[in-house]
Amino acid sequence: MFRQLLGNSVLRRILAAFGTLLGVAIFVFLMLRAIPGDQISSGLGTEAAALTPAQRAALESYYGLDQPLFVQFFSWLGNIFTGNLGFSARAQTSVLDLTAAALPVTFELAIFSIVIALAIGIPLGMLSASKPDSVRDGFGQVVGLAGLSIPAFLLGTALLAILASSFGFNPNGQGYATLFENPLLNLQQMLLPSIVLGFGIAAPIMRTTRTAVLEIRSNDFIRTAKAKGVPPRRLQVRHVLGNALVPIVTMTGLQFGYLLGGAVVVEQIFSLPGIGRQVLLGIQQKEYALVQSTVLVIALAFVIVNLLTDLLYRVIDPRVRAA
Amino acid sequence: MSTARRASFGALTATGVALALVITGCSAPASDPKPAEGAAGGDLVIGVTSDPDTLFPWKATQFQAVNVLQNLYGTLTEFDEELNVVPGLAESWDVSDDGLTVTFHLREGVTFADGSTFGSEDVKYSLDAIAAEATAAVARSSLASVTAVEATDENTVTLTLSAPDAALPANLAVINMAMLSSDDTEEGLNTTPNGTGPFLLDSRKASQSITLAKNEDYWGDTALLDTVEFRVIPDESSIVSAMQSGNVQLAVFDDPLVAQTVEGANVEVATTPQLSYHALQLNATRGDLADVNVRLAIQCAIDRQEVLDTAALGEGEVTGPITSPAYKSDPDARPCPERDLDKAADYLKKAGKEDGVTIKTIVSQGEYATSVNEAQNLKAQLADASITLELEVLESGAFVDRWIAADFDAAVALNGGRPDPDGMYGRYFTSTGNLNKVAGYSSPELDALFAEGRQTADPDKRKDIYAQVSENLEDNAAWIWLFTSYTYTATASTVDGFVPMANGSLQYLRTTSIK
Amino acid sequence: MTDISQSPALAPGGGRTMERVRLLLRSRSGLTGLIISFLLAVLSLVSAFGLLPFDPLAQDPPSRLQPPSGVHWFGTDQFGRDVFSRVAAGVANSALISVVAVAFATVVGTVCGLIAGFYRGISDGAITAVTNVLFAFPPLLLALSLASVFERNWFTIAVAIAIVYVPIFIRVTRGPVLSLREVEYVKAAKSTGQSRMATMFRHVLPNITSIIIVQVTLSLSWAVLTEASLSFLGLGTPPPAPSLGSMIFEARTLVTIAPWTMIAPGVIVVLLVVGLNLLGDGLRDSLDPRNRGKR
Repeated sequence: MFRQLLGNSVLRRILAAFGTLLGVAIFVFLMLRAIPGDQISSGLGTEAAALTPAQRAALESYYGLDQPLFVQFFSWLGNIFTGNLGFSARAQTSVLDLTAAALPVTFELAIFSIVIALAIGIPLGMLSASKPDSVRDGFGQVVGLAGLSIPAFLLGTALLAILASSFGFNPNGQGYATLFENPLLNLQQMLLPSIVLGFGIAAPIMRTTRTAVLEIRSNDFIRTAKAKGVPPRRLQVRHVLGNALVPIVTMTGLQFGYLLGGAVVVEQIFSLPGIGRQVLLGIQQKEYALVQSTVLVIALAFVIVNLLTDLLYRVIDPRVRAA
Repeated sequence: MSTARRASFGALTATGVALALVITGCSAPASDPKPAEGAAGGDLVIGVTSDPDTLFPWKATQFQAVNVLQNLYGTLTEFDEELNVVPGLAESWDVSDDGLTVTFHLREGVTFADGSTFGSEDVKYSLDAIAAEATAAVARSSLASVTAVEATDENTVTLTLSAPDAALPANLAVINMAMLSSDDTEEGLNTTPNGTGPFLLDSRKASQSITLAKNEDYWGDTALLDTVEFRVIPDESSIVSAMQSGNVQLAVFDDPLVAQTVEGANVEVATTPQLSYHALQLNATRGDLADVNVRLAIQCAIDRQEVLDTAALGEGEVTGPITSPAYKSDPDARPCPERDLDKAADYLKKAGKEDGVTIKTIVSQGEYATSVNEAQNLKAQLADASITLELEVLESGAFVDRWIAADFDAAVALNGGRPDPDGMYGRYFTSTGNLNKVAGYSSPELDALFAEGRQTADPDKRKDIYAQVSENLEDNAAWIWLFTSYTYTATASTVDGFVPMANGSLQYLRTTSIK
Repeated sequence: MTDISQSPALAPGGGRTMERVRLLLRSRSGLTGLIISFLLAVLSLVSAFGLLPFDPLAQDPPSRLQPPSGVHWFGTDQFGRDVFSRVAAGVANSALISVVAVAFATVVGTVCGLIAGFYRGISDGAITAVTNVLFAFPPLLLALSLASVFERNWFTIAVAIAIVYVPIFIRVTRGPVLSLREVEYVKAAKSTGQSRMATMFRHVLPNITSIIIVQVTLSLSWAVLTEASLSFLGLGTPPPAPSLGSMIFEARTLVTIAPWTMIAPGVIVVLLVVGLNLLGDGLRDSLDPRNRGKR
């Protein structure tokens, strides 16, 4: 079964993924250096104008900026294979440690957001599909549309402003607590951000559910099952939802990528020390190794999620498995 | 139950759980309970938008870094709340009659955070290292006149100067002149600070917070607070929310509107004029600006109060070059104290440019709130005098690059000020100053005046000299000085004893207490 | 996705277009979307031609923070600027950037998708590799880094957003093109000696037009949201040009004392995105051959 599951194509996909990651590495390396300014001018600001050439040379050597681009690229890439993702002079921590601390935050946020999105999207989608073109359907569509159209930064800002000033509810004003340190505070801090993000991605999930359910319900085998007297609930869950899972899973996988990037704004507003903020700070402070390595890690996570979604496909859908 | 209804029930339960979380959040205490009696003790949380980008004092210019380091490290001299130079690690100092020898008498019994004693070899080490180019210390040019540093005995350091430098004591008071232990290295200090300041580093979570704890062995009065946490909240309006919910007890804002919003039942806001100044820098080495008449035309075509009113909502004061209270310039001591379009036209005619001139101007965006609005208003005002400002709005990285290279005709800038005028402008407007390229203007008269100012010890005479410097700068319209703005320090009503300073320093955290 | 083999015509006919337009107008969402988008487009044009009641950039401190009134329909902001005019200019700005970005992405993406799907071989491999690399980046982070490379103005931001969305167009066109290649009439055209490029443009392109149109409207709404998010982060349209995102950013501190400064741009940006989304939905429904004969 393993061989059946994996097969040649998956191996090829993994190789292609490596190629993609290399492309990402080159792209981000070059792009960063194309942005005006470097770590010296971002660290010292206008005071950098007062540096003598000797001082500037000393700083360039300190930040590793004086080596030719080739050397910088390959030494960074080489270091990655030994687990050294670079060092952030600003934070005085290795990029590996920073990323290891930031990734779980964004990951937790993404998981909660997806859970909320599924909890909103699937029931709404099924509600809409239960009677197409009715008021119920309209309601579901409106909620979905709202989720798609209200920008996360608007919803997040408005919610935070209202809740903090009118109700004094602002758990994000306290220092961030990880799930292990203080589960209750952590959940409170994740509550608003997940709602904001989850609401945004609930729409595509709702629509996919609706379309899939409608399509499947009109399928022959459903009508047959109904005629055979299968109880409606089992029909809905097992047969309808079960077959609708494939597109829903695809859509969810797609949203993960959006979440990793879209989380940047929400992380800013709610002061969550996640991976999006890490990249943003790195770009602003011109910490090249930090951005390069973090982006590579994000791309890796994305690629893995895609591969897993594919594998999940083959497990759920017997038709794909045969392919 | 149908699946849809089942799902709705599930959603209801989830909502219930969420509500429960919210309610617990509301009733959870915002901060730790305070000790019941006395002013000592307590933990203060300061809301900041980013964490320090370095913990090494000699390279720190970002104001978050400076604010934290000022409380960890000590300098030979310090500023008091009126920006007078007062003793720090040096109890007293003598200057010889010819001004070429300065002897510092160090305080005794001072220890670093790691317990080692502070003495003259640390001072010699620090000053020598700052002056060395390989260190890339920001304050190197302040020691330009120092030829030798000698640790004459355990508690005495003697500096030999090539020329008298009356600005030296003031220049030694900045955190970039922190005294470090001769046993420490930059790498070591970046992770484990080791200073003589009123606080020690307690803990640090990169990009989240940095917490200081009081130094019981501090040479001065022990700080009242137990700990001070600089908490990173990247969004300013989130800091406002955090203050309103009691999570944060102190924050410093530049935006008057933010200050207005945060002021409330349990938050007080103090307004403090700053030393930093807004100016339209002119590059007198380029094109039309080389002619003083063109520059004077620009000066006469601008109503500074209008710029202040439109860009900064009137929150500030029109200013001349020198902003330090002891040497403050008279803002009206210039050829055109008020806007005078006729005079402007006259100056343009004298320059042979009746049809007007075009000035390429760079403006930063995102660095501070008013830059673009100032530029817009300046452009509108100058248009009335046939002077066209071609604005280039640049992101801060690009702006800094152009500024450093002096690649501009004019620049709308907010520059830092210093208590001593020589520290403030010596680097810019002397022909040998390391920022002269950026300033774009110098003259033999100014060189002579600055030299005289350094050599004169008498405060009244110095005041006179720098008044002449100020006049010279305005008469030649080297730059167009616009206004100084305010800083707004928001404190919870439970906070006592904090004194905001005109140079933005948070050094009075050492006298702050929380009820 | 539409099943290409079901579309019988070889080239778009005038009759089919009319029927599609009628379908669009009859669908509730499509009509609503069309109306909203049209109204906002008119607003953008009004702003572009300088016909606004006030100059969006003109500051007037004495009238700061006034609530909506007969003179200032949406009130004034902290500098006394008319919020309505600023919002209109913001819509024009968003429209400009989104249209340019999506046009760029559509042209480049479609051409690359056609080439990749039709010619296959090395060009397909290269284009797919680049697409995968771009896809591996979180979209907002990619847009924000690209936008920082060059001096920021509406054009460079549009290009940055375009680069982010090119991969989607490539992916959306490449698939159908791959299947279309095998369809009879295309093979026939090849055998009659028609050049591959001519075949590509004359026979293949018209049949994927409907997919592209739907993707265009969806991308327009994404582009609007991306530009607004970038401006909110301070990395989008540089001031003083008004942008809906930066207006919302500035209004954060004012929301308790002057809520209209956030409500106005907020509502308009939502309306703009809703209109585009509804239009996209309507178009998708009307262009879907399965819907012909329904409704």
